[in-house]
Amino acid sequence: MTIATSAAPPPTHNRSVARGFLTGGVMGASLAAIVVGIVIENEPLIAGGAFLLAVYVLIRYLAGMPRRAREAAIPPYLALAMIESLEAVGGETSDIPVKFDLTVAPDDAPAYRVEFTQDINLADLTDYRPRGILVVQYPPDRPLKVRIVKRPTPDWEERAASAHLDSAPGPALASDPLEGCGATLVGFLGLLLGAALVVLLFRADLFDRDDTDTARPSVSSSSTSSSSTTTVSSASGTVALGPGQSFLDQGRLGSSVAVLAKGEDKHRALTVVVQERLLTVVLAPTGTQAASRLDLDSLPYDRVPALVKEATTTLGVGSPRTWQLTADRLTGRVALRVSVTGSEDTAYLEADEQGKVVRRVSVGG
Amino acid sequence: MDWHMYQALWCGVFGAWALVGYGRSLAGMTRAQRTVRATGRIERVDEPRHGSSPSDGIAVVVSFQDPATGQEFTVTNEGERGERISVAWTGREIGVHYPRGRPHAFRFANDLSEGGRGLGWPTFAVFLVYAGLVAVAAIDRGWPWALLGFCGPWALSGLYHLPGNIRDRNRRIDQLAAMAAVPGRVVAVLKSVTVDSNDGHTLTNLMPVVTFTTLDGREVTAYCESGIPDPAGSRGLDLTIHYAPDDPALFVLDVEAERRSWKRDMAINVVGVLVVVAAAVVGVVAL
Repeated sequence: MTIATSAAPPPTHNRSVARGFLTGGVMGASLAAIVVGIVIENEPLIAGGAFLLAVYVLIRYLAGMPRRAREAAIPPYLALAMIESLEAVGGETSDIPVKFDLTVAPDDAPAYRVEFTQDINLADLTDYRPRGILVVQYPPDRPLKVRIVKRPTPDWEERAASAHLDSAPGPALASDPLEGCGATLVGFLGLLLGAALVVLLFRADLFDRDDTDTARPSVSSSSTSSSSTTTVSSASGTVALGPGQSFLDQGRLGSSVAVLAKGEDKHRALTVVVQERLLTVVLAPTGTQAASRLDLDSLPYDRVPALVKEATTTLGVGSPRTWQLTADRLTGRVALRVSVTGSEDTAYLEADEQGKVVRRVSVGG
Repeated sequence: MDWHMYQALWCGVFGAWALVGYGRSLAGMTRAQRTVRATGRIERVDEPRHGSSPSDGIAVVVSFQDPATGQEFTVTNEGERGERISVAWTGREIGVHYPRGRPHAFRFANDLSEGGRGLGWPTFAVFLVYAGLVAVAAIDRGWPWALLGFCGPWALSGLYHLPGNIRDRNRRIDQLAAMAAVPGRVVAVLKSVTVDSNDGHTLTNLMPVVTFTTLDGREVTAYCESGIPDPAGSRGLDLTIHYAPDDPALFVLDVEAERRSWKRDMAINVVGVLVVVAAAVVGVVAL
């Protein structure tokens, strides 16, 4: 096989540092976006984090294609080398990492010293001794990326057997100057900065949420007008009407519910209880996914007066004194139950989400 | 997002992948189609060193000629060079594959057969699309669709290939009867020690290396992956090797055990097909 030998200038490592930092940063940002997205229940942020990572990997792959194609098109250079020193640097397996310091002597370029680590089988370790001659290979444009050829072809075997090399002046150049803690530290720094950036951008959502989650159960607001008293906490809301008013008045029930539950709270209700002058909405805790939640917008408020009237007049309750409407979704579908209590007995009827009566339980029935 | 959207995305991505793959194959652009396939000849076989690693294969020197330029190359199996050479003798022909115009990027193959059209990955992508559709049907319409969807095509394929598989097993059993017996010897035991990164356990893999000379004078060196009861202490052990006269790469130590193994393999094949057919029938009945 045609072999060319040459020593190109050592590559600069600034780009490697920048690439390591960028990789760490993108990984940190992506992972933080996924975690923050899960915490604040932000699906686009989760998808964005995963997408960013995928796009970065793709870009790195595509960007490396020309170099890989260039390197693949040219055979690696072969050269003789002499072992200056070697040291096993650990390992519990049969292939142990050995740190080599070699003088590499290309045919048409000055000899140079290089230091690198390569796995060597324990049984073959005796083949590698100081001053021993080896055959090495490296990519044409990266003479420091040296690897020992363990099975050279017969002609190179002969050259190695008969060669005598002089040591090149040191110090040996590291094959990968960033290996060790340097590269790890730069990448880790990028990772921290990327993650911190994402957390900083979404700090409002993160910390507001924390505040709300921890503080809500103990905080409630209360407002009083001339006609009603409204109390709202994270767990429930209550509206108490003043004398001479009723939730059977036209439009009052719907407007009172709207005051109690706004925004996402409209979808957090578990139960709505209405009496003549008292409205209570029980809310599910934030962050839970109860299947029995009510959509407060979908309840038939306009039908409530008619249902109460029907219950008080048709169920046989003598001298009806109080009524109560309960709406929930405990059985999976929205159910309204209007109970009427008289002097001696109680009866009730049930209606569906459109306010249509589906069941009557009369006195004695 | 409705989960059907994820399903559509799944089918879309893998469907596109399959289309691109089939298009590349039609245009003759797949890696398999652009690979040059030459025949190499083993010129030298080095006896493995006792205790060394089996992962690199038996050290050989191979010569081959580039069909396009006629240039001769002499190479070794240094580093990652395709399939491991585990049986070698001087003069053995092996496959040498490389991208067009890059003979230095050669890879070895024990099989000399022609390459395919590079349809493996596109077909796998089609399978993933199909699996996605079956999963949707199973979730929307019930588990019988999963049985029918997965086991139905598998059962048809198994039934179609069963006669050929049985003929192949019978041919191999006949081949055992025609094997020649020669003396052999364990010349080395190769060792590979790995450490499980999860639990720290050490795993040791031992590979005895046998040598034997065929009746027509070929000196064969081979990894013996099975048939030696105590591999660790087998160095220097004398054995009887049974090999196929037309291809010494096919050799066994115990002909009867091998024959039983092929018969068991045939039975497992038949039972496997029956189980899959039964599962598909259950799926149809339960629809």
